[in-house]
Amino acid sequence: MLAAIAGLVAWLGASLIVLADGRRGLALGMVLAATGLAVLGWMSAGPFAAAAIAAGGLGAAAGRLRAGPPGWQVMPPGSTPRLLLCVATGLVALWIAFTITTGSGAGLRFTALAALALAGARLLWSSDPPVQLTAVGVLALAAAMASAIGASSPDLWPYAAAAFVAASVAWLPARTPSAG
Amino acid sequence: MPAEGIELLVMTAGALAFAVVFVRPAVRTRTMVSGAGGLVGAAAIVAAPTLDLVVFVLLALGVLHASVTGGRSFAVRLRPPLLAAAMISIALVLIRVQGPDVLDRFAAVGIGAALAAAVGLLPYIHLFDPDEDVAASPFAWLAFIGPVLAAVLVARAQGLLSADAWTALGGILIGLGVLNMVWGTVAAWFCGEVAEAWRYSFIADWGLVLCGFGLTILDGSRGAFLALFGIVLCRLPLYLVYRSAPVDRGTAERPINLVVAAALAGSAPFAGFAARILLLRGATQLYWPLALVLAIAMLLWLPSSLRLGRSVGLPRGRRAVGVALVLALNVAAGLYPLPILSAAHL
Repeated sequence: MLAAIAGLVAWLGASLIVLADGRRGLALGMVLAATGLAVLGWMSAGPFAAAAIAAGGLGAAAGRLRAGPPGWQVMPPGSTPRLLLCVATGLVALWIAFTITTGSGAGLRFTALAALALAGARLLWSSDPPVQLTAVGVLALAAAMASAIGASSPDLWPYAAAAFVAASVAWLPARTPSAG
Repeated sequence: MPAEGIELLVMTAGALAFAVVFVRPAVRTRTMVSGAGGLVGAAAIVAAPTLDLVVFVLLALGVLHASVTGGRSFAVRLRPPLLAAAMISIALVLIRVQGPDVLDRFAAVGIGAALAAAVGLLPYIHLFDPDEDVAASPFAWLAFIGPVLAAVLVARAQGLLSADAWTALGGILIGLGVLNMVWGTVAAWFCGEVAEAWRYSFIADWGLVLCGFGLTILDGSRGAFLALFGIVLCRLPLYLVYRSAPVDRGTAERPINLVVAAALAGSAPFAGFAARILLLRGATQLYWPLALVLAIAMLLWLPSSLRLGRSVGLPRGRRAVGVALVLALNVAAGLYPLPILSAAHL
């Protein structure tokens, strides 16, 4: 039950990152996604993994609050396709995690697939560096969760690496193109 | 650590040394700093014990490369390597879950697509700005980080995928390889900008590499490795010489231009020739009509190579030494490739 709730929270967070353009919306999405992923990390790989995911997510959210488009900008006009993407991704991930695949850890499978797909889609959809870097953070944290699937004794390095990548990219200054 | 990855890392370091010594002094420091960053990233890819950690290195490298000052926007440069990282991660999920065998095949599709996206091959060709600095351009992925990443990705994927999915990945790589070969050679022949022709010629060479990896037999791996050698230590240095040539390169065809064209086209006795022979031998062992297709596609290298050979102009001074060094190295590797292959455990 807890895994299902955590998976839902992580999907909501990743969806909010897809739907929001403002720094507050992105930061809240990152916090929600990291919370869900941290709970799943605790269940699959123990407290260190959870702490790393939570620290990476909080660092990324703090970095995003510092810079990026102002305000929330959740679901600005023209975001219906993004909303459809979030719902469709959630449904497809649910179908794969609970129907196509077997074994324990369906919540983890759902969360990893949904968060990876939504973060990848956000990277392609946006041209705004702060938005893209937030998606990179979620992508890193979700990639760490992918390493826990099917592992009997999870390796903790992916969590540490994910936390480092997620927290550090959010603090990068956005670069604008210039003559090389 | 994959032996091919370590040897390619050494070759990449050699290419960086060449760039530092032979490029224009104005961008030497910048090349050194960017190249050292890329080299550290490539070393991390080789040293990473699992594909999961390779994903994080790819994420970090993608963001750092997009942050380098250049002509293309941050978003445009960020997308391909990060899309590749996402696809590798999804592929890893599909490999690890319990379910029908078809999931493993989807994972193979993800690995093949991720390789193409990270390197910048069809169907994920990177946007190109001919005036952009080499360190910030798609060449950083095509010729500097890409060879190491490809060798490590394929080696690690072989250990993870089932036999059936590995065969599927081989088929995908051969298909992508032939597509990139034909598209790259024809585009390098007909496109307007010479710099763009150089870029397409790299893509064509990558077609050989993908075919070699896809053959999944020893001769194919050997051919792919020698083709990667050609990308890192022949095409990239010669492209750097082209970039550092005076604007007025002239159109006259001198003997040196023909020799450079021969090296780029993979004629005997250069390393590209040995790579092609090994690939044809491997393809003949596997399925002879494929060898016929490859042989026809290999003929397409000639017109574009003549064009690219001319673009180098008449190298003088330091550039002439650089060209002579590259040609000598490639002749040595072409005549006696065994030490290079042995060092890579091939």
